Amino acid sequence: MIELTGLEAQVGTFRLRDITFTVPAGGYGVVIGPAGSGKTTLLETIAGVVPQLGGGLRLDGRDARGAPPERRRVGFVYQQGYLFPHLSVEENVTYGAADPAFARDVARRVGADAIFGRAVRALSGGERQLVAIARALAMRPSVLLLDEPFSALDPRRRTEVRRTVRALHRELEVTVLQVTHDFTEAGLLGDVAILLDGGRVLQYGPPEHVFRRPASPYIAEFLGAENVFAGSVRVLGDAAPDWAGAPPDAEPGSHGHHAIEFRAGPLTLYTVGDAAPGPGYAVLRAEEVVLSREPHPTSARNQFAGTISELATLGALTRVTVDVQGTPLVAALTTRSAKELALAPGTPVYASFKAMAVHLCLAGGAATRAGPAATSLAQCAGASDGVACRYCRTRYTCRARLPSLRSPRVETPPRRGPSCPSPLPIQWATPSPRPRTHRPSWPSMHGA
Amino acid sequence: MTGAAGRIGWAPPPGRPGGGGEAHRAASIIAGLCGSLFLLFLVAPIARLVATGGAAGVGKLVSDAELRSALWLTAVTATTAMCVGALGGTPLAYLLARRDFRGRAVVAAVLDLPLLIPHPVAGIALLLMLGRESVVGGVLLRAGIRVAGSPVGIVCAMVFVSAPLFISAAREAFARVDPRFESVARTLGDPAWRAFRRVTLPLSMRGLIAAAVVMWARAVSEFGAIVILTYNPKVASVLSYDRFTSFGLTEALPVAAVLTILALVPLIALRALRPDRGAGMDA
Repeated sequence: MIELTGLEAQVGTFRLRDITFTVPAGGYGVVIGPAGSGKTTLLETIAGVVPQLGGGLRLDGRDARGAPPERRRVGFVYQQGYLFPHLSVEENVTYGAADPAFARDVARRVGADAIFGRAVRALSGGERQLVAIARALAMRPSVLLLDEPFSALDPRRRTEVRRTVRALHRELEVTVLQVTHDFTEAGLLGDVAILLDGGRVLQYGPPEHVFRRPASPYIAEFLGAENVFAGSVRVLGDAAPDWAGAPPDAEPGSHGHHAIEFRAGPLTLYTVGDAAPGPGYAVLRAEEVVLSREPHPTSARNQFAGTISELATLGALTRVTVDVQGTPLVAALTTRSAKELALAPGTPVYASFKAMAVHLCLAGGAATRAGPAATSLAQCAGASDGVACRYCRTRYTCRARLPSLRSPRVETPPRRGPSCPSPLPIQWATPSPRPRTHRPSWPSMHGA
Repeated sequence: MTGAAGRIGWAPPPGRPGGGGEAHRAASIIAGLCGSLFLLFLVAPIARLVATGGAAGVGKLVSDAELRSALWLTAVTATTAMCVGALGGTPLAYLLARRDFRGRAVVAAVLDLPLLIPHPVAGIALLLMLGRESVVGGVLLRAGIRVAGSPVGIVCAMVFVSAPLFISAAREAFARVDPRFESVARTLGDPAWRAFRRVTLPLSMRGLIAAAVVMWARAVSEFGAIVILTYNPKVASVLSYDRFTSFGLTEALPVAAVLTILALVPLIALRALRPDRGAGMDA
């Protein structure tokens, strides 16, 4: 088990602050975050390589604060491998192993035994990573820390090694914490996903939860949610059909689920939850949106007529942007489906999605489980790059149309354009070409 | 290294074949002339010395017992000084390369001081510290260790003037090894000392040996501090000076020529030990 409570550490001027999360014993945690967010420093602090300044750290139930790295039973795999160049590959693998036969067996399983005879300097980046993984596992660690360990492997090998590491993780009952930039990997491997930025944990929880229910629009954007709408929440009356009272054993203050109407410009979305009325954001992953050429009666509470404005094909996946009364709505579907529906720009379609697919982030980040509310949206009005409100045609400026992942996050409720009668539809989540500091891989939680 | 050296040459830059060819040729000729003159200035005196006194020097090695004794004393004291410097300087070099402690810049500056002061001044300082009249020298003398006027004094002078060179080069050698190698060794179960012995030391060994060779060479060539602290017994540098002042150039020449020929030994060793690509690049 890896248990961090308010962990603090510093390297140079960079500081990890108030890091709190738990990866259960034998669990697989994944750390996701932009470059420079402190992922490697976090692993190094857990390994004891970087001194811990404050907070609590327990590894396998033992207090690890102040313990030297060699007593923590932590295996560490850096992205670059850091194989000892003065030793042979075999000597590297058996370096920390109490049982050389077991070390050789691990090397065989990850595919590193075939290169035992080669000099370390002659290995490719991927081969180095294989040897580093074998070396770390060969010592039978109780905790394994992996810093982008598969990044230099080719896709086929990556899948194999990922599977092997997962199998060894289960077999050896080792708790794993892995840094990755690959959301697919995070979804496939992780029992717990930790989203890190600026030395802080923005959100953590099961990957499914983090991906589908991001705690803030910022997280949604980072995780690749294409549809994020600013608007306002209206809680429908208790008499509404979606109302469900709180269960008897619910915590005080829990009110159960309400039917919620979320108004974002011309779109009125229906969802369920326990959100309070007021301004907020609705997040909808593109893969939750279903397209059809005809209006079919379905159980989906949300259905909109629109026109396709853009199609982008990425191999077997196609991303379709539907213009719904001027508001872009992005749907992700298979390329085959797109062909069978004969979708093309200008084609009228119907977009539908279930109420449960809409996730609300309230202004103030009420859904955040850990860490601060993180929002950098909607500092609109007052400047002059002249983005016209689609409804009142008043020109206003959105200084933060694309929030930088590194920018200070200011909690700003959505504001109306001057004399705009409707809540301001924030357009930054549209799929139109725009500079992004990070382009996540295609969301793939369906495959998780 | 070779590739870089190739690019530094005076060939026209890529993409400009023949462009400004005349100017390049002229610049090449001027640079070649300047370089040749400078090289001649460095090499000519040594070549002349070896050519004039080399044969006689080799003959003297057989016939001149004092010369053989001086050379032997030089080799022994320089090697002892190198060992002392390496033993004492390695931990300091490691600390300077790895740890960020308060006053590190001051320590580094103090270590460079012996390189800056004139060597006779260093000899005077050592004499003041270790001479018979000094407190330390007196204590050592009572313990049976005579510093001034003994091989111990020669070693002290050699260490004083050449150890900073070792520490500086050793510090560079440690700094070239990425500390993450050590971190990985620690996570693999090695305590700090064992990680240093099994990983950092082997990875920086070539640099450390090169540093030791530089220190040894500097110790062999030391004259100013030794002549103040210990004129007798004579090391080779003092002997050549002594022969020159007592008997003139003819007698000093063979000794000087032998010393010059022997100086080639560390030079060749340094070329052989030049650190290759830094270990940090081979992560």
